[in-house]
Amino acid sequence: MTLPASLDEAVAALTAMPAAVPVAGGTDLMAAVNAGLLRPAALVGLGRINEIRGWQYQDGHALLGAGLTHARMGRPDFAALIPALAAAARAAGPPQIRNAGTLGGNIASAAPTGDALPVLAALEAVLVIVGPGGQREIPVSHLLAGREMLRPGELIGFVRVPLLHAPQVFLKATGRTGPGRAVASVGLVLDPARRGVRCAIGAVAPMPLRPLEAEQWVASLIDWDGGRILAPEALEAFGEYVAAACVPDQGEPVAPGVLHLRRTVAVLARRALGRALTS
Amino acid sequence: MSGQDAATATATAAVNATVTAMTVPGAAEAAEPQVPRGIGASVEAADTRAKTEGTFPYAADLWAEGLLWAAVLRSPHAHARILSIDTKAAAEMPGVRAVVTHADVPGATTHGRRIADRPVFAHDVVRHHGEPIAAVAADHPDTARLAAAAIAVEYELLDPVTDPEQSFGAPALHPDGNLIRHIPLRYGDPEATGEVVVEGLYRIGRQDPAPIGAEAGLAVPRPDGGVELYTASTDPHTDRDLAAACFGLEPDRVRVVVTGVPGATADREDAAFQLPLGLLALRTGCPVKLAATREESFLGHTHRHPTLLRYRHHADAEGRLIKVEAQILMDAGAYADASAESLAAAVAFACGPYVVPHAFVEGWVVRTNNPPSGHVRGEGAMQVCAAYEGQMDKLAAALGIDGAELRMRNVLATGDLLPTGQTVTCPAPVAELLRSVRDVELPALPKDAPEDEWLLPGGPEGAGEPGAVRRGVGYGVGMVHMLGAEGTDEVSTATVKVIGGAATVICAAVDTGQGFGTLARQIVQEVLGVDEVAVAPVDTDQPPAGPSAHGRHTWVSGGAVERAAKMVRTQLLQPMAHKLGMSTELLQIQDGRITSYDGAFSMSVAEAMAGKELWATAQCRPHPTEPLDADGQGDAFVGLAFCAIRAVVDVDIELGSVRVVELAVAQDVGRILNPRQLEARIEAGVTQGVGAALTENLRTVAGLVRHPDLTGYALPTALDSPTVRIVKLVEERDVVAPFGAKAASAVPVVTTPAAIASAVRAATGRPVNRLPIRPSAAVAAPNS
Repeated sequence: MTLPASLDEAVAALTAMPAAVPVAGGTDLMAAVNAGLLRPAALVGLGRINEIRGWQYQDGHALLGAGLTHARMGRPDFAALIPALAAAARAAGPPQIRNAGTLGGNIASAAPTGDALPVLAALEAVLVIVGPGGQREIPVSHLLAGREMLRPGELIGFVRVPLLHAPQVFLKATGRTGPGRAVASVGLVLDPARRGVRCAIGAVAPMPLRPLEAEQWVASLIDWDGGRILAPEALEAFGEYVAAACVPDQGEPVAPGVLHLRRTVAVLARRALGRALTS
Repeated sequence: MSGQDAATATATAAVNATVTAMTVPGAAEAAEPQVPRGIGASVEAADTRAKTEGTFPYAADLWAEGLLWAAVLRSPHAHARILSIDTKAAAEMPGVRAVVTHADVPGATTHGRRIADRPVFAHDVVRHHGEPIAAVAADHPDTARLAAAAIAVEYELLDPVTDPEQSFGAPALHPDGNLIRHIPLRYGDPEATGEVVVEGLYRIGRQDPAPIGAEAGLAVPRPDGGVELYTASTDPHTDRDLAAACFGLEPDRVRVVVTGVPGATADREDAAFQLPLGLLALRTGCPVKLAATREESFLGHTHRHPTLLRYRHHADAEGRLIKVEAQILMDAGAYADASAESLAAAVAFACGPYVVPHAFVEGWVVRTNNPPSGHVRGEGAMQVCAAYEGQMDKLAAALGIDGAELRMRNVLATGDLLPTGQTVTCPAPVAELLRSVRDVELPALPKDAPEDEWLLPGGPEGAGEPGAVRRGVGYGVGMVHMLGAEGTDEVSTATVKVIGGAATVICAAVDTGQGFGTLARQIVQEVLGVDEVAVAPVDTDQPPAGPSAHGRHTWVSGGAVERAAKMVRTQLLQPMAHKLGMSTELLQIQDGRITSYDGAFSMSVAEAMAGKELWATAQCRPHPTEPLDADGQGDAFVGLAFCAIRAVVDVDIELGSVRVVELAVAQDVGRILNPRQLEARIEAGVTQGVGAALTENLRTVAGLVRHPDLTGYALPTALDSPTVRIVKLVEERDVVAPFGAKAASAVPVVTTPAAIASAVRAATGRPVNRLPIRPSAAVAAPNS
């Protein structure tokens, strides 16, 4: 276990020990280690790297450190910047998990139920990857879809997220009232400057899904200069559109579980858009 | 001091709705702040502080010089033939001290708490996912685990039987056959019919007892060739006997020492851990320790029986029950365990606490390749309660009668007959319980509070939307039996000793958290007037007290402690009575003083006990019961306990998410022995019931357990636990029970899921015939 104090040191440590695994909050990784599922040859702890524990502003964007904890992102100052990410962070589990788990860890472990992931997908976040060859940038969706991978010695350093200054919503359906794993989740953001609605559905597939046609269709209905009001029927149709796009039939007859999931996604998408437009 | 007093006051206030005379004896005249003592007082458990501070030692904390670590190899398949087991690679690993398999079991190769049908290690066939095949002792836990993984087992996969309905026609999964028990209960006239008939099919899922502390143990070899097992056993003498049989030892060469029990709502400990542990200790001559992972815990121990129930209720036009027909099919998993008893409870209570003139119930419990089922509190009774209460709701809907009113027209009372032909001789205040929960005012709607303070289904900041939330109110009435049934010899032995004014209780009744230790102290305080009472740790060198199940220890062990304390009392008072020329009955012990009936003689207890050493041992054995006969008839139960619950739920009818707002509980407790402890037991039982109703189901696919972890298996959190409002504790003393008290833990578990399902039915209009209630079953059209 090494504990570098900067990203450069961390990259150097990972390059020196290619078998080492980086660990931040450890809420996924250490549980797997304790269960005997993983036995990393060495660990590189990222907890002492101060430069990735906060955020900074960068021409209309926020550059979020990968070491931001869910607890930190859930606080009101952060919520004022990126409300949906803050809501996802607050929903991400019990306080013990939120205090330890990090934004970068949520992306790196890429669990289908990762709560931050649909929000990052809806925000079209860009990952700033640091590695032995310097920095490079990849869209979060590319990493989650496996189109681009982290190379040896590379780390997620920062996450660049646009500051949209407009309502954003994160909702999830779980099996219980207390913290629980998402059955389905939705991140939805309004982008008035580009007159866009962007939405991603989490937990229904290995990576968050973007219903692009539904987004464009509903954005075209919204009166962006006026009250941004939509008829209930339009909200309903948006939900159905999103659900049909994100939850395929998987054979005939359609299984009851699929129908329920589709209905759940439709309700979440409809409510998310409704809340975004009325808040 | 003030903190504790405040806590007592809160607990008392909550129960005070019905209880008036609950003040601590002598509290009024005592000048100094009085510590609660004796029967009826909220005496605090002796280990509260250690448990809250985390210093209380559980089996996983035990240590011995030079100990080895054990690991168990478990089957990854639900059903397979073992072609070969090669332990060579594992045995040759550095640090490995012993590897044991079926071939190394010196004594009986099968075991079981009730029927010895379970192999210590699978050798020819594995019958469920997680069945133990071999065990390893090594000098490091990781080495042990790696060595266990290095054991090469060659399997020939067999088709698993996972649907209990298919078990009847399937090839035998076990030499004993697939049918473990069949009870055809016949009571009354099969031709009887009612004007209204409702039918229903109900499915109950697999609840795991999910103890907060997973299984752990330490085995220490003895110089005499025996072995000591340090473990959180809830039935130490039975565990000792089966361990001794498997080790090929005399029972007195095996000693089970009970450590702190980290949660037990079912049988502990899993013998599949303890037997390999003892074998490894005997084999290596070293102490061996094992602490199970959560996954192993889920795979190893027994679960609540998944049950399929088919019902037909007949009633007349006024809603009075005429006939109940039912078929009950329980899934035992691969081994019998407590299945026969669970089935008896399910069949006997299939009609619930209602008067039914004619009943025809067929019950079967069969083997499958699913995870093993066994005793979990309220077993059998809980599954049927969900079904018969579903039927009562259906009947109410068919007749257009209010659900509570329909139940009220049918409630059982003392003197009525159960469908087993047994007369209910104990107090059965079912009508009073139901009336109490029905008449208490409903919780307020949150409409006056700011909207962001509403706790909607889905949780704070969740997806819930007020416009889609419907509130439902439902009822559940349940019953359980207390003590072992059908001729079980229920007996417990306890010793009380007093030396120099301090008393000790020696009784092998395990305090699993049910509070027996506290109760034993209260009894001795009450009878002997001493303040200082300790309860000795339990081991099998003490006389047997039987398992911690079915509220036994409150009854039989509490009764034994009381008798022993009374014998000590007689020894203490005899010389004084003799001197005064009166019988000991004319002397009383109160507030730490011995006084004669006329007040002429008075002496402090401490003074009377000075320099004396008094011992007494006594047994308590309640009246015998008989097995159910070929028609399911017989006086099978010693005592019954009842409970009524009104559930109020909020359902988001678009997402199907359910939040239980409030559970109003009225319970038949006989007598309140410790108000705070009683309240805690009811809250704990209700919470376990909430889990069974909404989230707890150990899922399997083709017999393989999915997600054996606490993320996948969702226990209720604090946010899921509703307000538990104890509106009435009916104190009608059961004359045959010691102190007249009834055990309180199991019946809320039985009743809660039925009440919640009833409330979800009311909110959604959906049938809700499956537990746990899945969101898809609670989705409804907005105008229904």
